[in-house]
Amino acid sequence: MAGFGTLVVSVALALAGDELVRPGLQALLFNWITVPYLISGTIAWWRRPESRLGPLMIATGFVMALTALQWSTIPVLFSIGHLLDLVPAAMFLHVFLAYPTGRVVGRLRQVVVVCGYATAVVLQLAKIVLGINPDSLFTITTKPVLAGRIEQVQLVTMSVLLLVGAVLLLVRRPSPSLARRRPVALLVDSFGLALIMLALLFVAGLRGWPQVETVRHVTFAVLGLAPVVFLLGLLDARLARTDVGALLMELRAHPGGDLREPLARALHDPSLTLAFWLPKYGSWSDSEGHSVTLPGGAGGRATRVIYRDHEPVVALEFDRSLEDEHELLDAVAAAAGIALENSRLQADLRARLLELQGSRARVIDAGQQERKRLERNLHDGAQQRLVALALELGLIAGRSASDADTKARLMQAKQQVTDSLDELRDVARGIHPAVLTGHGLAVALESLTAQAAVPVVLEVTDGGRLPEHVEVAAYYVVNESLANIGKHAHATVASVRVTRSDELLVVEIVDDGVGGADTERGSGLRGLADRVEAIGGRLRIWSPVDGGTRLEAEIPCG
Amino acid sequence: MRVAIAEDSVLLREGLTRILGDAGLDVVAAYDNADDLLQFVRGFPPEVAILDIRLPPTHNDEGMRAALQIRERHPGVGVLVLSQYLELGLAMQLLSESAEGVGYLLKDRISDVEDFTGAVRRVAGGGSAIDPKIVSTLLQRRRSDDPLDLLTPRERQVLELMATGASNQGIADDLVVTLRAAEKYVSGIFTKLGIPSTRSESRRVLAVLLYLRA
Repeated sequence: MAGFGTLVVSVALALAGDELVRPGLQALLFNWITVPYLISGTIAWWRRPESRLGPLMIATGFVMALTALQWSTIPVLFSIGHLLDLVPAAMFLHVFLAYPTGRVVGRLRQVVVVCGYATAVVLQLAKIVLGINPDSLFTITTKPVLAGRIEQVQLVTMSVLLLVGAVLLLVRRPSPSLARRRPVALLVDSFGLALIMLALLFVAGLRGWPQVETVRHVTFAVLGLAPVVFLLGLLDARLARTDVGALLMELRAHPGGDLREPLARALHDPSLTLAFWLPKYGSWSDSEGHSVTLPGGAGGRATRVIYRDHEPVVALEFDRSLEDEHELLDAVAAAAGIALENSRLQADLRARLLELQGSRARVIDAGQQERKRLERNLHDGAQQRLVALALELGLIAGRSASDADTKARLMQAKQQVTDSLDELRDVARGIHPAVLTGHGLAVALESLTAQAAVPVVLEVTDGGRLPEHVEVAAYYVVNESLANIGKHAHATVASVRVTRSDELLVVEIVDDGVGGADTERGSGLRGLADRVEAIGGRLRIWSPVDGGTRLEAEIPCG
Repeated sequence: MRVAIAEDSVLLREGLTRILGDAGLDVVAAYDNADDLLQFVRGFPPEVAILDIRLPPTHNDEGMRAALQIRERHPGVGVLVLSQYLELGLAMQLLSESAEGVGYLLKDRISDVEDFTGAVRRVAGGGSAIDPKIVSTLLQRRRSDDPLDLLTPRERQVLELMATGASNQGIADDLVVTLRAAEKYVSGIFTKLGIPSTRSESRRVLAVLLYLRA
């Protein structure tokens, strides 16, 4: 379309070339007006198909191109070009007053635009019919005085309409105080200036000012500037959308973070505030939880409520000038909606995870407390009684020195009691290592490593007692690892190292055995991993075949 | 010989009092907690204090702490710690300074009345009584090119007895050999293992235990 328009202009200029005072400059300025309207119109149409502004701008460029036909020497073409002479002026008025939606809103604006077209078409036709230019094929009669009057009325009327249009534009010029409003303000300025210059051009032509050519050039230059500024505005909107892209990235990178800051940045409105809907209380609150009321359009503010499942979630409150930028608002609102949904889902997931971890830890802790209680009962009950029984048997045996047979049988019975004590000791110790509760990890590991099947080098950085669940987990890690080394590793030596920082206890067990251990085979290691993970820790195993085994448990202890 | 006891099980407290009394020892105090024992020891230091390692109120480390406190503040009072479990780490804590006048035995040992009263007397007299299980645990630890492999079976027996705190006479009695033979075994072991020889029987307990633990 644009290409076609430009082609028309070129043809027209080629046909008309020799008629012009300064063909080069004239052609350049002509293209300067026509081409930007065609390009801007095309881009606007493509970017915002719902807006009529794009087609309107293209039509303006097209009609502008057609007016070049009046420089033609071919009568038909000249007549058409001449007829359309003032239509672009009306169309400029139309375009500028229809910005940004493409619709002329407001009775006064509509009247101005309609009058503009009437002036450009009806009065033009009238003066042509009356023979303002005898070359036109539309000339019916020759009444130059009347035609000249009509032309005067036409040009004055058009000038007035243009000036009214300029005033209408400039009174509603947005304040450039907001950084993001500057392109729009600039655009309106350029539209207004173009209308004023056009009016000035008509007056200059009417009055026959000697500077009319200069005024024409300046006017054309300004007219061509408007679509360029318009293009910049479009670009700015594009940039705003890339800000929305950055916003989405940021919201994804920091889920659950402060929502207001990134939203304010994307909207270029530092005054943005958020209000959150509290369904329980049926009211809005700020991020601190204080109750607020939405302004609802008062005090230069506007509000956009984001809904989820027909329920309000959050309200964005911003400078009213933002209301023009529906796309940006829609995009930001959508991004905020996604972020809110994400953080809600994540919060939900985190809550469930915490609950699960909590219940897992509680199950282990409850088991641990139960084991402690059992061991304690065994210690205070059965074990003490069996010791007392062994003592009694020993005493009786000592007194029955005369009866060798009885003494031997008593000693045998005593031996059986002490054997039972040995077994009971192992059982009780398996249930809960009391030394851990009484004396801590370092002491408990001393016995454990001393009793291991292979010589073990033990290294414990002592830093006082740790929470019981940490000590117990670390103890079982070492216990199970040493048992595995004894059963499977065929190692000659092993080492146990326990180091700690403020928030982490690290238990490392290394052997020089056959390797090939992993947590998926063998329920012992899997159970160990479960136990460590249940209290927020991590268990890792390096066990290459024939390369020994290194097991490392990290347990939070802060 | 004056003995003070802290044991929270009534059965065992009475049993201990009885067998020690029967053996001619004077049980001057028997408490069910560590604080009362400590207070008694401060006022009337006995020759030996016998403590259960788990005592009220928490049954965690009260007995152990009291034992270490007596060792530190009353070097003249022998300390014999009784426990249902043996912990190498606790043995080494008790012996950290010296093996003089200290004992660490399984509670079961009470039932071997003669051995037990002998151990009490030894600790009271500045000797040591380390449970044979501690020693055998240490001896179980295999290692490559172990110098212990150089020992004859007899010498191993002597080493074990030495580590429990037995005197040369005690070793001789136990193995039914002459005192001179026992002494010969002892010096042979020290030479083979390269442990600096010492005439003090309690000092050699620590030396042997540290050697075995290394």
